[in-house]
Amino acid sequence: MAWVTWRQHRAQLVAGVGLLATLALAAFGTHLPISAAYHHYALPHCLPPSIRPGCDLIVAHFQGEFGTWATAVRGLAVLPALAGLFIGAPLLARELEHGTFRFAWTQTITRRRWLLSKTALLASATILAAGLVSALVMWWRQPFDTLQGRIAPSGFDIEGLVVPAYAVFALTVGVLAGLLLRRTVAAMTATLVVFVATRLIVLRFLRPTFMAPHHRTVLPTEAARRVGDWVLSDTLVDAGGRKITAAREDLAILHAQQANIDPHTYLVTLGWKRIISYQPAGRFWTFQIFEAGLFVTLSVLILLLTLWLVRRTPT
Amino acid sequence: MQFHLDPGSGVATYLQIVQQVKEALRLGTIQVGDQLPTVREVVADLAINPNTVAKAYRNLELDGLVVARQGRGTFVSSTLAPPSLRHHNALRADFERWLDAATRAGLDDESIRALISTTLRQSRSPRVA
Amino acid sequence: MTPALDARGLGKRFHREWALRDCTLAIPEGAIVGLAGPNAAGKSTLLALASGLLAPSEGSVAVLGCDPLREPSVLAKVGFVPQGAPLYRSFSVGDAIEFARRTNPQWDAEFVVGLLSRLDSRTKVGTLSVGERTQLALALVLGKRPRLLLLDEPFAGLDPLAGREFLQLLMDGVAETTPTVVIASHVMADIERVCDDIVLLADGRVRLEGRVESLLESHRILMGPRRPIGTIRGVREIVRERHSGRQLTLLVLSDGPIVDPSWTVERVGLEELLLAYMAPERLPQAKPPERFPLRWHG
Repeated sequence: MAWVTWRQHRAQLVAGVGLLATLALAAFGTHLPISAAYHHYALPHCLPPSIRPGCDLIVAHFQGEFGTWATAVRGLAVLPALAGLFIGAPLLARELEHGTFRFAWTQTITRRRWLLSKTALLASATILAAGLVSALVMWWRQPFDTLQGRIAPSGFDIEGLVVPAYAVFALTVGVLAGLLLRRTVAAMTATLVVFVATRLIVLRFLRPTFMAPHHRTVLPTEAARRVGDWVLSDTLVDAGGRKITAAREDLAILHAQQANIDPHTYLVTLGWKRIISYQPAGRFWTFQIFEAGLFVTLSVLILLLTLWLVRRTPT
Repeated sequence: MQFHLDPGSGVATYLQIVQQVKEALRLGTIQVGDQLPTVREVVADLAINPNTVAKAYRNLELDGLVVARQGRGTFVSSTLAPPSLRHHNALRADFERWLDAATRAGLDDESIRALISTTLRQSRSPRVA
Repeated sequence: MTPALDARGLGKRFHREWALRDCTLAIPEGAIVGLAGPNAAGKSTLLALASGLLAPSEGSVAVLGCDPLREPSVLAKVGFVPQGAPLYRSFSVGDAIEFARRTNPQWDAEFVVGLLSRLDSRTKVGTLSVGERTQLALALVLGKRPRLLLLDEPFAGLDPLAGREFLQLLMDGVAETTPTVVIASHVMADIERVCDDIVLLADGRVRLEGRVESLLESHRILMGPRRPIGTIRGVREIVRERHSGRQLTLLVLSDGPIVDPSWTVERVGLEELLLAYMAPERLPQAKPPERFPLRWHG
């Protein structure tokens, strides 16, 4: 089946290699100026605990200069979905749409073995490609990771173990969609919808709960953000611990402005504090393992379901 | 030798093959020791059922005209004795007389051939009516 | 001896329509069987059930003694040429052969090459004519030297020359190993010359089956002046009755010699025989149209 899989998907393989090559070129090309600036501004010396005065200005300048690139790179989060759309969805949908399954499924090799072999081979190639992309991004994002951390979604979603996991998930969703919908375009659409929905649900509702978040209480005057953490929530509470509504906060600030006092200092005198709930930077790899594990488990379950259904579907 | 089929003649396919082999034997086109075309060759040429050819060859074998050698093919084993010339002459004279009668009755060549062919066919096929 | 194809009460339903119903057949090994019938008679459905592409709605089917869904390993010995010969269009002929070789461990490469000597292995399947593609599909299934060969409407779209070439290829391919061959075709003329047996399907049911020889032997055409028919000696059943002007023509099933001098007796051709059994009068009544109950007021 290795030859068969290669022969039927060699166009996709070529496209994938081309895409990887383009990404690598872009990465190497853009890395030079970033790296140069990073060392030129002596940014390594701006990291805790050795923060010098003026560092925040330098950091702000650096991020202003290359911020758009870093934001653009976030778009790579769409790459894993491509595995589902262009490799997974057409796998069964095209055979069913064109009737070639009547040829492919009446050979000696059983339907299940055919599907399992193909999917396993394509999944392996996908994991390899996605792993390379992930490694490339991690290498490119090093300056940004040290300055901003990577456990927040801007880094987390495109680095580490989750990228191959997302890709395999998209692939298996695509294959199942192709079997159920029997039309390539419909399967591609469904795959995209399911992929995006699942990612959003996990990001919004599950990832924050992988481990109990930490809490810090700070005065309204202090810098809230510690470099590298993923802030989940940042709430103002009064001296009695009650949450302050936006209206109340606005009123207090108004008071301060009328009295010509710095608003933050005024809030401190009121006895108000900020409670920050966050996931510390050090949990990056733990969370990566949890999320990757979740998506890989889903992929396996979807694949098993597909293997069970493929024998039963009346064609 | 090559076979040809006449699907409209009403004669069973295997019989046509048997007859053509016998004809070839009579005419000397094939002789003792010659190999008949293989089943595969015949069906690839005529697009007929291999069982039909096998049946024809078995028939010829039962008539003692050919012998099948396992794995090597079917070979001619004896010739047909030509029918006695004496009968030929008498039959031919009868036939010429009949032809005169038919021509006088108004039959043309085409009708005569059709009559011969139908009568021959009906007299050979199993009686049902 | 196990039948090559054994169907018992086999039925298949799509949504609410029965494509095949109550099909009981036993096709003996080594026979070449014509599966005849008009379009949508259930021929393709029967072959799809036999090759494991569909699951039965009722009844059972076994090929070479095995259920194709429960024991898919039997497919190693079953060759299926689907309607339209759906091969991968972007493949070359060589690729298609390689595909078949790799998905069928028992593969007779020499045999296949011999069958396809006229096709260039670099030609794309998509550019082949229908006839060439059908021949390719046939050669690919013959490569695993199957014991049962199922062909779904192989002559559809083929001109007479291409059809004859296909038949020659088919007979050549089966001459040595004599597998069981089932050819579905709605044109009888294409397959008459090779079939030992015939199965006639119409409207999802088996209408007629038997050896061609005995079917032709047991049916006769009777022609005579138009008149009320009593019992005729030698006639078991009148299959079809036709009249035009003053002449009456009957197609009958006979159980002995017919010696009635008032009838001219003739043999019947296979195609005409099958057409008679397909005639609407012989098919079960269509469901009467729904009628809404009348409401009485008053």
